[in-house]
Amino acid sequence: MRNILIIAGNTFHQAIRDKILYGIIIFALIFIGSSVVISSLSLEEDIFVIRNFGLAGIYIFGLIITVFLGASAIYEEVERKTTYLLLSKPVTRADIIWGKFLGLLAGIGTTILLMAVAYLLILLVSGGSLDFPAILAVMLQMAEVALLLAVLIMFSIFTTPLAATIYTILILYIGHVLPLIQEFAIKAGGTTKYLLMVAYYIFPNLEKFNIRNLVVHNIPIPPKEVLLSLGYSAAYILLALFIAQRLLNRKDM
Amino acid sequence: MIKIDGLTKYYGEQKAVDNLSLSIPEGTIFGFLGPNGAGKTTTIKMIVGINTPDSGSININGRTPFMPSAREEIGFMPEEPHFYDQLTGLEFMRFAANLFSQKSQAKESLEEILKKTGIYEARNKKIKNYSKGMKQRLGFAQALVNDPKYIFLDEPLEGLDPIGRRELKIMLENIKKEGKTIFFNSHILSDVENICDQIGIIHLGKLIYFGSVDNFRKDKSLEEQFVETIKKL
Repeated sequence: MRNILIIAGNTFHQAIRDKILYGIIIFALIFIGSSVVISSLSLEEDIFVIRNFGLAGIYIFGLIITVFLGASAIYEEVERKTTYLLLSKPVTRADIIWGKFLGLLAGIGTTILLMAVAYLLILLVSGGSLDFPAILAVMLQMAEVALLLAVLIMFSIFTTPLAATIYTILILYIGHVLPLIQEFAIKAGGTTKYLLMVAYYIFPNLEKFNIRNLVVHNIPIPPKEVLLSLGYSAAYILLALFIAQRLLNRKDM
Repeated sequence: MIKIDGLTKYYGEQKAVDNLSLSIPEGTIFGFLGPNGAGKTTTIKMIVGINTPDSGSININGRTPFMPSAREEIGFMPEEPHFYDQLTGLEFMRFAANLFSQKSQAKESLEEILKKTGIYEARNKKIKNYSKGMKQRLGFAQALVNDPKYIFLDEPLEGLDPIGRRELKIMLENIKKEGKTIFFNSHILSDVENICDQIGIIHLGKLIYFGSVDNFRKDKSLEEQFVETIKKL
Protein backbone atom coordinates (compact mmCIF):
# COMPACT_ATOMS: atom_id res chain seq x y z
CA MET A 1 0.00 0.00 0.00
CA ARG A 2 2.88 2.35 0.84
CA ASN A 3 4.40 2.11 -2.64
CA ILE A 4 0.98 2.60 -4.27
CA LEU A 5 0.65 5.92 -2.44
CA ILE A 6 4.22 6.95 -3.32
CA ILE A 7 3.61 6.20 -7.02
CA ALA A 8 0.24 7.98 -6.79
CA GLY A 9 1.91 11.08 -5.31
CA ASN A 10 4.54 11.08 -8.03
CA THR A 11 1.91 10.63 -10.75
CA PHE A 12 -0.12 13.50 -9.30
CA HIS A 13 2.89 15.84 -9.29
CA GLN A 14 3.81 14.85 -12.81
CA ALA A 15 0.20 15.36 -14.02
CA ILE A 16 -0.46 18.77 -12.50
CA ARG A 17 2.76 20.21 -13.91
CA ASP A 18 1.70 19.55 -17.49
CA LYS A 19 1.30 22.81 -19.39
CA ILE A 20 -1.32 21.34 -21.74
CA LEU A 21 -3.48 20.62 -18.70
CA TYR A 22 -3.33 24.29 -17.70
CA GLY A 23 -4.50 25.22 -21.20
CA ILE A 24 -7.52 22.93 -20.90
CA ILE A 25 -8.37 24.29 -17.42
CA ILE A 26 -8.19 27.91 -18.63
CA PHE A 27 -10.48 27.01 -21.53
CA ALA A 28 -12.88 25.28 -19.11
CA LEU A 29 -12.99 28.29 -16.78
CA ILE A 30 -13.68 30.62 -19.72
CA PHE A 31 -16.49 28.28 -20.83
CA ILE A 32 -18.05 28.18 -17.35
CA GLY A 33 -17.57 31.94 -16.97
CA SER A 34 -19.26 32.60 -20.28
CA SER A 35 -22.50 31.25 -18.79
CA VAL A 36 -22.91 34.67 -17.10
CA VAL A 37 -22.94 36.43 -20.49
CA ILE A 38 -25.26 33.86 -22.08
CA SER A 39 -27.63 33.88 -19.09
CA SER A 40 -28.02 37.66 -19.44
CA LEU A 41 -29.63 37.04 -22.84
CA SER A 42 -32.31 34.78 -21.34
CA LEU A 43 -35.67 35.96 -20.06
CA GLU A 44 -35.68 35.62 -16.25
CA GLU A 45 -33.93 32.26 -16.57
CA ASP A 46 -30.43 33.37 -15.54
CA ILE A 47 -29.87 30.74 -12.84
CA PHE A 48 -31.30 27.96 -15.01
CA VAL A 49 -28.86 28.83 -17.83
CA ILE A 50 -25.88 29.15 -15.49
CA ARG A 51 -26.64 25.76 -13.93
CA ASN A 52 -27.12 24.16 -17.34
CA PHE A 53 -23.97 25.67 -18.81
CA GLY A 54 -21.88 25.26 -15.70
CA LEU A 55 -22.64 21.57 -15.13
CA ALA A 56 -22.24 20.78 -18.84
CA GLY A 57 -18.88 22.59 -18.87
CA ILE A 58 -17.61 20.74 -15.80
CA TYR A 59 -18.68 17.44 -17.37
CA ILE A 60 -17.24 18.01 -20.86
CA PHE A 61 -13.91 19.41 -19.69
CA GLY A 62 -13.67 16.77 -16.97
CA LEU A 63 -13.94 14.14 -19.70
CA ILE A 64 -11.35 15.86 -21.89
CA ILE A 65 -8.89 15.99 -18.98
CA THR A 66 -9.56 12.34 -18.13
CA VAL A 67 -8.84 11.18 -21.67
CA PHE A 68 -5.82 13.47 -21.95
CA LEU A 69 -4.24 12.14 -18.76
CA GLY A 70 -5.44 8.55 -18.83
CA ALA A 71 -4.92 7.43 -22.43
CA SER A 72 -1.16 7.21 -22.22
CA ALA A 73 -0.90 6.33 -18.51
CA ILE A 74 0.71 2.90 -18.71
CA TYR A 75 1.61 3.02 -22.41
CA GLU A 76 4.08 5.86 -21.79
CA GLU A 77 5.57 4.14 -18.75
CA VAL A 78 6.29 1.05 -20.85
CA GLU A 79 7.37 2.85 -24.02
CA ARG A 80 9.65 5.29 -22.21
CA LYS A 81 10.94 2.46 -20.03
CA THR A 82 10.36 4.27 -16.75
CA THR A 83 8.90 0.94 -15.63
CA TYR A 84 12.49 -0.38 -15.52
CA LEU A 85 13.29 2.08 -12.75
CA LEU A 86 10.20 1.06 -10.80
CA LEU A 87 10.17 -2.71 -11.26
CA SER A 88 13.83 -3.10 -10.29
CA LYS A 89 12.83 -1.67 -6.90
CA PRO A 90 10.49 -3.36 -4.39
CA VAL A 91 7.50 -2.42 -6.55
CA THR A 92 4.97 -4.81 -8.08
CA ARG A 93 3.10 -4.33 -11.33
CA ALA A 94 -0.11 -4.03 -9.30
CA ASP A 95 1.48 -1.12 -7.38
CA ILE A 96 2.07 0.65 -10.71
CA ILE A 97 -1.53 0.16 -11.88
CA TRP A 98 -3.11 1.31 -8.62
CA GLY A 99 -0.58 4.09 -8.07
CA LYS A 100 -1.18 5.48 -11.55
CA PHE A 101 -4.95 5.21 -11.11
CA LEU A 102 -5.03 7.01 -7.77
CA GLY A 103 -2.51 9.67 -8.82
CA LEU A 104 -4.35 10.49 -12.04
CA LEU A 105 -7.70 10.43 -10.25
CA ALA A 106 -6.33 12.92 -7.72
CA GLY A 107 -5.15 15.13 -10.60
CA ILE A 108 -8.48 14.94 -12.41
CA GLY A 109 -10.34 15.44 -9.11
CA THR A 110 -8.35 18.60 -8.41
CA THR A 111 -9.22 20.10 -11.79
CA ILE A 112 -12.90 19.16 -11.44
CA LEU A 113 -12.93 20.68 -7.96
CA LEU A 114 -11.45 23.88 -9.38
CA MET A 115 -14.16 24.03 -12.05
CA ALA A 116 -16.88 23.28 -9.48
CA VAL A 117 -15.65 26.09 -7.20
CA ALA A 118 -15.67 28.50 -10.17
CA TYR A 119 -19.22 27.38 -11.02
CA LEU A 120 -20.47 27.83 -7.44
CA LEU A 121 -18.88 31.28 -7.18
CA ILE A 122 -20.49 32.39 -10.45
CA LEU A 123 -23.82 31.08 -9.23
CA LEU A 124 -23.54 32.95 -5.90
CA VAL A 125 -22.42 36.18 -7.58
CA SER A 126 -25.36 35.90 -10.00
CA GLY A 127 -27.84 35.77 -7.13
CA GLY A 128 -28.25 32.02 -6.78
CA SER A 129 -27.86 30.02 -3.57
CA LEU A 130 -25.35 27.32 -2.68
CA ASP A 131 -26.21 24.54 -5.11
CA PHE A 132 -26.07 21.28 -3.09
CA PRO A 133 -27.72 19.12 -5.80
CA ALA A 134 -25.04 20.37 -8.23
CA ILE A 135 -22.34 19.25 -5.78
CA LEU A 136 -23.99 15.81 -5.81
CA ALA A 137 -24.01 15.85 -9.62
CA VAL A 138 -20.27 16.65 -9.65
CA MET A 139 -19.69 13.84 -7.14
CA LEU A 140 -21.41 11.37 -9.44
CA GLN A 141 -19.45 12.78 -12.36
CA MET A 142 -16.28 11.93 -10.40
CA ALA A 143 -17.53 8.35 -10.05
CA GLU A 144 -18.08 8.21 -13.84
CA VAL A 145 -14.67 9.73 -14.55
CA ALA A 146 -12.99 7.25 -12.17
CA LEU A 147 -14.68 4.39 -14.00
CA LEU A 148 -13.57 5.73 -17.40
CA LEU A 149 -10.05 6.27 -16.11
CA ALA A 150 -9.84 2.63 -14.99
CA VAL A 151 -11.03 1.54 -18.45
CA LEU A 152 -8.49 3.87 -20.11
CA ILE A 153 -5.68 2.44 -17.97
CA MET A 154 -6.76 -1.07 -18.99
CA PHE A 155 -6.69 -0.08 -22.69
CA SER A 156 -3.39 1.78 -22.38
CA ILE A 157 -1.64 -1.49 -21.48
CA PHE A 158 -2.18 -3.13 -24.83
CA THR A 159 -2.85 -0.28 -27.22
CA THR A 160 -1.63 3.15 -28.27
CA PRO A 161 -2.97 6.36 -26.66
CA LEU A 162 -4.92 7.20 -29.83
CA ALA A 163 -6.59 3.79 -29.97
CA ALA A 164 -7.29 3.92 -26.20
CA THR A 165 -8.93 7.33 -26.69
CA ILE A 166 -11.11 6.05 -29.55
CA TYR A 167 -12.20 2.95 -27.60
CA THR A 168 -13.03 5.07 -24.57
CA ILE A 169 -15.08 7.55 -26.60
CA LEU A 170 -17.01 4.59 -28.02
CA ILE A 171 -17.59 3.22 -24.53
CA LEU A 172 -18.67 6.68 -23.41
CA TYR A 173 -21.21 6.86 -26.22
CA ILE A 174 -22.51 3.31 -25.74
CA GLY A 175 -22.53 3.80 -21.96
CA HIS A 176 -24.89 6.76 -22.29
CA VAL A 177 -27.30 5.08 -24.72
CA LEU A 178 -27.48 1.79 -22.80
CA PRO A 179 -30.93 2.52 -21.31
CA LEU A 180 -32.20 2.99 -24.89
CA ILE A 181 -30.50 -0.24 -25.94
CA GLN A 182 -32.21 -2.03 -23.05
CA GLU A 183 -35.60 -0.65 -24.07
CA PHE A 184 -35.03 -1.67 -27.67
CA ALA A 185 -33.87 -5.16 -26.61
CA ILE A 186 -37.04 -5.74 -24.60
CA LYS A 187 -39.16 -4.75 -27.58
CA ALA A 188 -37.05 -6.71 -30.10
CA GLY A 189 -37.26 -10.15 -28.49
CA GLY A 190 -35.58 -13.30 -29.86
CA THR A 191 -31.81 -13.57 -30.41
CA THR A 192 -31.45 -9.80 -30.85
CA LYS A 193 -32.78 -9.32 -27.37
CA TYR A 194 -30.19 -11.67 -25.85
CA LEU A 195 -27.31 -10.15 -27.84
CA LEU A 196 -28.30 -6.64 -26.83
CA MET A 197 -28.78 -7.66 -23.21
CA VAL A 198 -25.25 -9.16 -23.17
CA ALA A 199 -23.97 -5.79 -24.45
CA TYR A 200 -26.09 -4.07 -21.80
CA TYR A 201 -24.39 -5.99 -19.01
CA ILE A 202 -20.83 -5.82 -20.41
CA PHE A 203 -20.66 -2.08 -21.09
CA PRO A 204 -20.75 0.33 -18.17
CA ASN A 205 -24.10 2.06 -17.81
CA LEU A 206 -22.91 5.66 -17.60
CA GLU A 207 -26.42 7.09 -17.42
CA LYS A 208 -26.42 5.93 -13.80
CA PHE A 209 -24.13 8.88 -13.09
CA ASN A 210 -26.09 11.49 -15.00
CA ILE A 211 -28.31 13.49 -12.67
CA ARG A 212 -27.57 16.84 -14.29
CA ASN A 213 -31.04 17.09 -15.84
CA LEU A 214 -32.69 16.36 -12.50
CA VAL A 215 -30.53 19.01 -10.82
CA VAL A 216 -31.23 21.68 -13.44
CA HIS A 217 -35.00 21.05 -13.28
CA ASN A 218 -35.02 20.84 -9.46
CA ILE A 219 -36.29 17.25 -9.43
CA PRO A 220 -35.46 15.41 -6.16
CA ILE A 221 -32.65 12.83 -6.34
CA PRO A 222 -33.23 9.56 -4.45
CA PRO A 223 -30.22 8.96 -2.12
CA LYS A 224 -30.52 5.18 -2.66
CA GLU A 225 -29.92 5.64 -6.41
CA VAL A 226 -26.85 7.75 -5.70
CA LEU A 227 -25.41 5.11 -3.38
CA LEU A 228 -26.12 2.34 -5.90
CA SER A 229 -24.37 4.33 -8.63
CA LEU A 230 -21.30 4.85 -6.44
CA GLY A 231 -21.19 1.11 -5.67
CA TYR A 232 -21.60 0.31 -9.37
CA SER A 233 -18.64 2.56 -10.21
CA ALA A 234 -16.46 0.96 -7.50
CA ALA A 235 -17.27 -2.56 -8.74
CA TYR A 236 -16.51 -1.66 -12.35
CA ILE A 237 -13.22 0.04 -11.36
CA LEU A 238 -12.13 -3.03 -9.41
CA LEU A 239 -12.90 -5.27 -12.38
CA ALA A 240 -11.14 -3.03 -14.95
CA LEU A 241 -8.04 -2.61 -12.79
CA PHE A 242 -7.94 -6.32 -12.01
CA ILE A 243 -7.94 -7.07 -15.76
CA ALA A 244 -5.31 -4.34 -16.27
CA GLN A 245 -3.15 -5.95 -13.61
CA ARG A 246 -3.43 -9.38 -15.26
CA LEU A 247 -2.56 -7.90 -18.66
CA LEU A 248 0.45 -6.05 -17.30
CA ASN A 249 1.68 -9.18 -15.49
CA ARG A 250 1.79 -11.00 -18.81
CA LYS A 251 3.63 -8.23 -20.59
CA ASP A 252 7.38 -8.40 -21.25
CA MET A 253 8.99 -5.02 -20.67
CA MET B 1 26.78 -14.30 -4.52
CA ILE B 2 24.84 -13.97 -7.75
CA LYS B 3 23.95 -17.40 -9.11
CA ILE B 4 22.24 -17.89 -12.43
CA ASP B 5 21.35 -21.35 -13.58
CA GLY B 6 20.04 -22.47 -16.98
CA LEU B 7 18.40 -19.12 -17.75
CA THR B 8 16.36 -19.17 -20.96
CA LYS B 9 14.12 -16.54 -22.47
CA TYR B 10 12.11 -16.59 -25.67
CA TYR B 11 10.66 -13.62 -27.55
CA GLY B 12 8.08 -15.35 -29.71
CA GLU B 13 9.94 -18.10 -31.53
CA GLN B 14 13.33 -16.51 -31.00
CA LYS B 15 15.55 -17.63 -28.16
CA ALA B 16 16.98 -14.40 -26.74
CA VAL B 17 18.88 -16.10 -23.90
CA ASP B 18 19.85 -19.74 -24.17
CA ASN B 19 20.56 -21.81 -21.06
CA LEU B 20 22.78 -19.21 -19.43
CA SER B 21 24.60 -20.08 -16.21
CA LEU B 22 26.85 -17.74 -14.23
CA SER B 23 28.24 -17.53 -10.76
CA ILE B 24 29.57 -14.17 -9.59
CA PRO B 25 31.35 -13.95 -6.22
CA GLU B 26 30.72 -11.19 -3.68
CA GLY B 27 32.73 -7.99 -3.88
CA THR B 28 33.76 -8.30 -7.51
CA ILE B 29 33.15 -6.34 -10.70
CA PHE B 30 31.74 -8.47 -13.48
CA GLY B 31 31.58 -7.23 -17.07
CA PHE B 32 28.97 -8.78 -19.33
CA LEU B 33 30.00 -8.29 -22.95
CA GLY B 34 28.53 -9.09 -26.30
CA PRO B 35 27.61 -7.56 -29.63
CA ASN B 36 24.30 -5.73 -30.14
CA GLY B 37 21.33 -8.07 -29.80
CA ALA B 38 23.36 -10.77 -28.03
CA GLY B 39 20.99 -10.91 -25.05
CA LYS B 40 22.81 -8.72 -22.51
CA THR B 41 19.90 -6.40 -21.71
CA THR B 42 17.40 -9.29 -21.70
CA THR B 43 19.60 -11.06 -19.16
CA ILE B 44 20.08 -8.07 -16.86
CA LYS B 45 16.32 -7.32 -16.94
CA MET B 46 15.61 -10.84 -15.72
CA ILE B 47 18.31 -10.65 -13.04
CA VAL B 48 16.80 -7.50 -11.51
CA GLY B 49 13.27 -8.91 -11.63
CA ILE B 50 11.77 -6.81 -14.42
CA ASN B 51 11.00 -9.76 -16.70
CA THR B 52 10.61 -13.42 -15.86
CA PRO B 53 12.59 -16.18 -17.60
CA ASP B 54 10.89 -19.05 -19.45
CA SER B 55 13.12 -21.44 -17.55
CA GLY B 56 16.08 -21.38 -15.20
CA SER B 57 16.68 -19.72 -11.87
CA ILE B 58 18.30 -16.60 -10.45
CA ASN B 59 19.57 -16.28 -6.91
CA ILE B 60 20.95 -13.11 -5.41
CA ASN B 61 22.24 -13.64 -1.92
CA GLY B 62 20.08 -16.76 -1.78
CA ARG B 63 16.87 -15.00 -2.79
CA THR B 64 14.97 -14.76 -6.05
CA PRO B 65 14.64 -11.21 -7.42
CA PHE B 66 11.03 -11.93 -8.36
CA MET B 67 10.09 -11.34 -4.73
CA PRO B 68 9.78 -7.54 -4.36
CA SER B 69 11.39 -7.65 -0.90
CA ALA B 70 14.53 -9.28 -2.39
CA ARG B 71 14.99 -6.19 -4.54
CA GLU B 72 15.70 -4.11 -1.41
CA GLU B 73 19.36 -5.11 -1.88
CA ILE B 74 19.52 -4.33 -5.60
CA GLY B 75 20.42 -1.15 -7.43
CA PHE B 76 19.75 -0.98 -11.16
CA MET B 77 20.57 1.55 -13.82
CA PRO B 78 18.89 0.82 -17.17
CA GLU B 79 20.41 1.61 -20.55
CA GLU B 80 19.70 5.24 -21.52
CA PRO B 81 17.48 5.78 -18.49
CA HIS B 82 14.25 7.72 -18.88
CA PHE B 83 12.67 9.64 -16.04
CA TYR B 84 9.57 11.66 -15.26
CA ASP B 85 10.40 14.85 -17.11
CA GLN B 86 8.33 17.19 -14.97
CA LEU B 87 10.28 16.32 -11.82
CA THR B 88 13.62 17.78 -10.78
CA GLY B 89 16.61 15.51 -10.23
CA LEU B 90 16.31 15.79 -6.46
CA GLU B 91 12.55 15.09 -6.54
CA PHE B 92 13.17 11.96 -8.57
CA MET B 93 15.84 10.81 -6.11
CA ARG B 94 13.39 11.32 -3.22
CA PHE B 95 10.74 9.36 -5.11
CA ALA B 96 13.19 6.52 -5.83
CA ALA B 97 14.40 6.41 -2.20
CA ASN B 98 10.85 6.33 -0.81
CA LEU B 99 10.12 3.14 -2.74
CA PHE B 100 12.49 1.29 -0.43
CA SER B 101 11.80 0.44 3.18
CA GLN B 102 13.40 2.78 5.72
CA LYS B 103 16.20 0.37 6.58
CA SER B 104 17.24 -0.02 2.93
CA GLN B 105 17.63 3.67 2.27
CA ALA B 106 21.16 4.95 1.80
CA LYS B 107 22.97 6.08 4.92
CA GLU B 108 24.34 9.08 3.09
CA SER B 109 21.90 11.79 2.11
CA LEU B 110 20.49 12.01 -1.38
CA GLU B 111 22.39 15.23 -1.87
CA GLU B 112 25.64 13.43 -1.04
CA ILE B 113 24.89 10.80 -3.68
CA LEU B 114 24.14 13.55 -6.19
CA LYS B 115 27.47 15.22 -5.35
CA LYS B 116 29.34 11.94 -5.70
CA THR B 117 27.78 11.27 -9.10
CA GLY B 118 28.41 14.81 -10.34
CA ILE B 119 24.82 15.94 -10.79
CA TYR B 120 24.39 18.00 -7.61
CA GLU B 121 24.51 21.38 -9.35
CA ALA B 122 21.54 20.41 -11.53
CA ARG B 123 19.50 18.88 -8.70
CA ASN B 124 16.77 21.54 -8.81
CA LYS B 125 16.46 21.62 -12.59
CA LYS B 126 13.61 19.75 -14.28
CA ILE B 127 14.85 16.48 -15.79
CA LYS B 128 13.42 17.44 -19.18
CA ASN B 129 16.23 20.01 -19.39
CA TYR B 130 19.01 17.48 -18.65
CA SER B 131 21.54 16.44 -21.29
CA LYS B 132 22.10 12.77 -22.11
CA GLY B 133 25.19 12.68 -19.91
CA MET B 134 23.31 14.27 -16.99
CA LYS B 135 20.52 11.70 -17.31
CA GLN B 136 23.16 8.97 -17.31
CA ARG B 137 24.61 10.35 -14.07
CA LEU B 138 21.16 10.63 -12.50
CA GLY B 139 20.49 7.05 -13.59
CA PHE B 140 23.57 5.95 -11.71
CA ALA B 141 22.70 8.09 -8.69
CA GLN B 142 19.20 6.59 -8.37
CA ALA B 143 20.72 3.10 -8.40
CA LEU B 144 22.54 3.98 -5.16
CA VAL B 145 19.63 5.40 -3.12
CA ASN B 146 19.13 2.18 -1.16
CA ASP B 147 22.82 1.57 -0.45
CA PRO B 148 22.56 -1.69 -2.46
CA LYS B 149 24.80 -4.70 -1.98
CA TYR B 150 24.39 -5.66 -5.63
CA ILE B 151 24.56 -3.07 -8.38
CA PHE B 152 23.48 -3.80 -11.95
CA LEU B 153 24.33 -1.32 -14.68
CA ASP B 154 23.24 -1.57 -18.30
CA GLU B 155 25.70 0.29 -20.54
CA PRO B 156 26.61 2.81 -17.80
CA LEU B 157 29.41 4.42 -19.80
CA GLU B 158 27.24 5.15 -22.82
CA GLY B 159 26.65 8.87 -23.41
CA LEU B 160 29.34 10.01 -20.97
CA ASP B 161 32.26 12.15 -22.10
CA PRO B 162 35.82 10.90 -21.35
CA ILE B 163 35.87 12.79 -18.01
CA GLY B 164 32.53 11.32 -17.02
CA ARG B 165 33.67 7.81 -17.99
CA ARG B 166 36.80 8.17 -15.91
CA GLU B 167 34.82 9.48 -12.91
CA LEU B 168 32.36 6.61 -13.15
CA LYS B 169 35.14 4.03 -13.31
CA ILE B 170 36.71 5.54 -10.18
CA MET B 171 33.30 5.43 -8.47
CA LEU B 172 32.86 1.78 -9.41
CA GLU B 173 36.26 0.92 -7.95
CA ASN B 174 35.39 2.77 -4.73
CA ILE B 175 32.06 0.98 -4.51
CA LYS B 176 33.85 -2.33 -4.99
CA LYS B 177 36.15 -1.45 -2.08
CA GLU B 178 33.02 -1.19 0.11
CA GLY B 179 32.47 -4.90 -0.59
CA LYS B 180 29.63 -4.44 -3.08
CA THR B 181 29.17 -6.60 -6.15
CA ILE B 182 28.86 -4.88 -9.53
CA PHE B 183 27.45 -6.46 -12.67
CA PHE B 184 27.54 -4.37 -15.78
CA ASN B 185 26.81 -4.67 -19.47
CA SER B 186 29.04 -2.81 -21.84
CA HIS B 187 30.38 -2.76 -25.32
CA ILE B 188 33.12 -0.20 -24.54
CA LEU B 189 35.78 -2.86 -24.15
CA SER B 190 38.70 -0.60 -23.29
CA ASP B 191 36.84 0.48 -20.13
CA VAL B 192 35.89 -3.04 -19.17
CA GLU B 193 39.49 -4.17 -19.53
CA ASN B 194 40.70 -1.92 -16.72
CA ILE B 195 38.13 -2.46 -14.03
CA CYS B 196 36.62 -5.95 -14.28
CA ASP B 197 37.69 -8.91 -12.18
CA GLN B 198 35.79 -11.28 -14.42
CA ILE B 199 33.97 -11.08 -17.71
CA GLY B 200 31.29 -13.09 -19.46
CA ILE B 201 30.81 -12.97 -23.22
CA ILE B 202 27.41 -13.67 -24.70
CA HIS B 203 26.66 -14.19 -28.37
CA LEU B 204 23.24 -15.04 -29.84
CA GLY B 205 21.99 -15.72 -26.33
CA LYS B 206 24.70 -18.24 -25.45
CA LEU B 207 27.53 -17.71 -23.02
CA ILE B 208 30.76 -18.30 -24.92
CA TYR B 209 33.29 -17.26 -22.29
CA PHE B 210 33.32 -16.81 -18.55
CA GLY B 211 36.47 -16.05 -16.57
CA SER B 212 39.20 -13.47 -16.06
CA VAL B 213 40.03 -10.76 -18.58
CA ASP B 214 43.68 -11.89 -18.81
CA ASN B 215 42.77 -15.48 -19.57
CA PHE B 216 40.55 -14.34 -22.39
CA ARG B 217 42.70 -11.77 -24.11
CA LYS B 218 46.04 -13.64 -23.72
CA ASP B 219 48.64 -11.45 -25.46
CA LYS B 220 46.12 -9.30 -27.37
CA SER B 221 43.96 -6.37 -26.40
CA LEU B 222 40.48 -7.27 -25.16
CA GLU B 223 38.93 -5.63 -28.21
CA GLU B 224 41.09 -7.55 -30.68
CA GLN B 225 40.44 -10.86 -28.99
CA PHE B 226 36.72 -10.11 -28.68
CA VAL B 227 36.31 -9.26 -32.38
CA GLU B 228 38.31 -12.34 -33.40
CA THR B 229 36.28 -14.64 -31.17
CA ILE B 230 32.93 -13.31 -32.37
CA LYS B 231 33.98 -13.50 -36.03
CA LYS B 232 34.99 -17.14 -35.65
CA LEU B 233 31.49 -18.10 -34.48
